[in-house]
Amino acid sequence: MIRLESLQGRFIDHLRRKADFPSAWCAQGTVDSETGLAIYANAYTARLREALEADHPCLARYLGDELWSRFCAGYIEQHPSRVRSLRGFGAQVPHWLARNPPFSQHLEVAALAAFERELMDVFDAADAPRMDWSAMQEFEHPDWPHLRFGFHPSTRLLTTETNAVEIWRALKDESDPPPGGASAAPARLLWRDAERISRFRPVQAEELLALRACLLERADFATLCERLAALRAPDQVPALAVELLRQWFDDGIIQAIRTP
Amino acid sequence: MVMGAEAKRRPAPGAVAPGARPWHGYGLGLRTEHFEAVLEQRPAVDWFEIISENFMVAGGKPRHYLESIRNLYPLAMHGVSLSIGSTDPLDRDYLRSLKKLASEVDPIWISDHLCWTGFGGINSHDLLPLPYTGQAILHVASRIGEVQEFLGREILIENVSSYVNFADAEMDEATFLAEIARRSGCRILLDVNNVYVSSRNHGFDADAYIASLDAEKIWQIHLAGHSDYGDYVIDTHDHPIRDEVWDLYARMLQRLGAVTTMIERDDNIPPLQELLAELEHARQVGDDALARRCTAVA
Repeated sequence: MIRLESLQGRFIDHLRRKADFPSAWCAQGTVDSETGLAIYANAYTARLREALEADHPCLARYLGDELWSRFCAGYIEQHPSRVRSLRGFGAQVPHWLARNPPFSQHLEVAALAAFERELMDVFDAADAPRMDWSAMQEFEHPDWPHLRFGFHPSTRLLTTETNAVEIWRALKDESDPPPGGASAAPARLLWRDAERISRFRPVQAEELLALRACLLERADFATLCERLAALRAPDQVPALAVELLRQWFDDGIIQAIRTP
Repeated sequence: MVMGAEAKRRPAPGAVAPGARPWHGYGLGLRTEHFEAVLEQRPAVDWFEIISENFMVAGGKPRHYLESIRNLYPLAMHGVSLSIGSTDPLDRDYLRSLKKLASEVDPIWISDHLCWTGFGGINSHDLLPLPYTGQAILHVASRIGEVQEFLGREILIENVSSYVNFADAEMDEATFLAEIARRSGCRILLDVNNVYVSSRNHGFDADAYIASLDAEKIWQIHLAGHSDYGDYVIDTHDHPIRDEVWDLYARMLQRLGAVTTMIERDDNIPPLQELLAELEHARQVGDDALARRCTAVA
C-alpha cells in the first residue's frame, strides 16, 4: 500500500511542477488518469492566478497580458501558497516585483502592487470607535504636551517615491495611465471611514513627519511639536501641530486619546 | 420576494422530530455580491451558508454584513481549509479561528470536506482526493474526532468531486465516506452534484452510492451546477443546476425524506433573484419528491 504521505507529496509536486505522478498509483475510471491529473494541475495554477488578479486588478491592467502572465508564472513557481486563505497568497508580490526583472527595472510596478495590498488591508482591518475633535476640549491645555493618540486600526502610511498611486487612479478610472515617474507627494495616508469606505489622500513633508511621530512612534504632542520645529519657525509650530491633529480627527482616524 | 403562503405551508425550519435529522429548510450560499440585496429585500430564504474563511478577518464590510445578516437568518458555517485528510498536522490556529467565529455566529452547524488541501505546509487551495483505504479511514476519522473535541460539537463532512481515483483503493467512495462517518460520529453533507460528477468521471452508479449511505447521517444537501465536457465532467459551480442533478436529488429525497438543502454558486454569480427562483424550484422538486414518498409509504 502506498503511504498517504508519499501519495500527497507526489501529488503536490505534480500540481506545482507538473512532476510525474506514477500512473501505476492511479485507477483508470471513465476519465483516464492523465486527464484527471491535468484537471487538478490546471485548476491549481488557474486558482492562484485568479487570486492574484482579484487582488491586483490595476497591476494586471498596467502590465498587460504578456507581462502579467510572466509575473504570475514566476510568482506562483517561487511562492507556493503557505497560507490558509488565498487572501494572503499575494503578500510577497511587491517584494517579488522589486527583485525580478523586467519588473524591478520599473519602480512604479512594485509600488503599484504595494498600494493595492495596502488597500486590501484597509478594507478588512479591525473595527474601532472614532473620536471627534470635541474630545480634545476635555483636556486642559497644560495636559496637551503629554497626550498620545491611538489611530484607527485601518490607518496606513505608505511612502510613495513613484507615481504608482496616480497610475492606479488612472487605471481605476479606465483612463490611460501616465508613464512611470516621480510621485506628486512623498506619502499617502490610507484609512477606512465610518461608512466602511476605503479612503486615501496625499501626505506632504510636514504631515509625513508628524504621522511618523504620532502614528508609527506613538510620540506625544510635545514630541510632535519638537519634530515640526525642524521645519517651521517656533512660533508657527503649535498652530501647525493643532491643524494636523484636527485634520486627523476630521478624517476619522483617531480612536483614542491617551494620557500618561 | 417576501415570506408567503408557499413558504409557510412547509415544515417550520429548525423543527426536529425526535430521532430525526434536523430540518432547516432551503438555503443559499451567502455571497459578497448579494450582501446588500439580502439586507434590502429580506428574501424568503430559510437560512444562509457562509464560507467560514471569508469572515476570519478583523473587521470592515465582511464582518459588518455578517453581523447584520446573522440577525435576520440562521447561518451554517462551511469551511474549505480544514484539510482533514492531509498528513500535515491539524492547523490549530485555523481551528481556534473557526471556534471563535462559531461563538460569534452560533451556526446551525459547521461543515468541511472529505479531502486534503495541502502537504508539507503548501496549500493547493483545492479539494484533493483521498485513497479509499483503511489507512486513510483511520487517519481521517481520528482527525475528525480531534476537531470535534476541540470545537465541542459534531461537524458535517462533505463528499467532493474527483477526477482521479487511486489504484490501491480497498473500497468505493460511498463505503469510505460511510465508514468515516460511522467511526468519527460526524454527519454527512451530501453534495448531490459532486456525487453526479464523480459518478460520471469514475463510472459508478450515483443512486447506489446514495442508497448505501446511512440516511440518518445525511444532515445537509448541496446542489450546484457543473460543466459537462462529454468525456468528463467538472464541478464548476458557475452554472444553474442541471436536470440530471435535479433528477438525482428528487430520487434521493424520495428515498430519504426531507433533508436541509442549499444551492451553492461560487462563480459567474447571477443576480439574487435568479438564485431565489432556482431555490424555489428546489422547494418544488422537494415537495413533489416528498409527496411521492408519502404516497409510496401509504
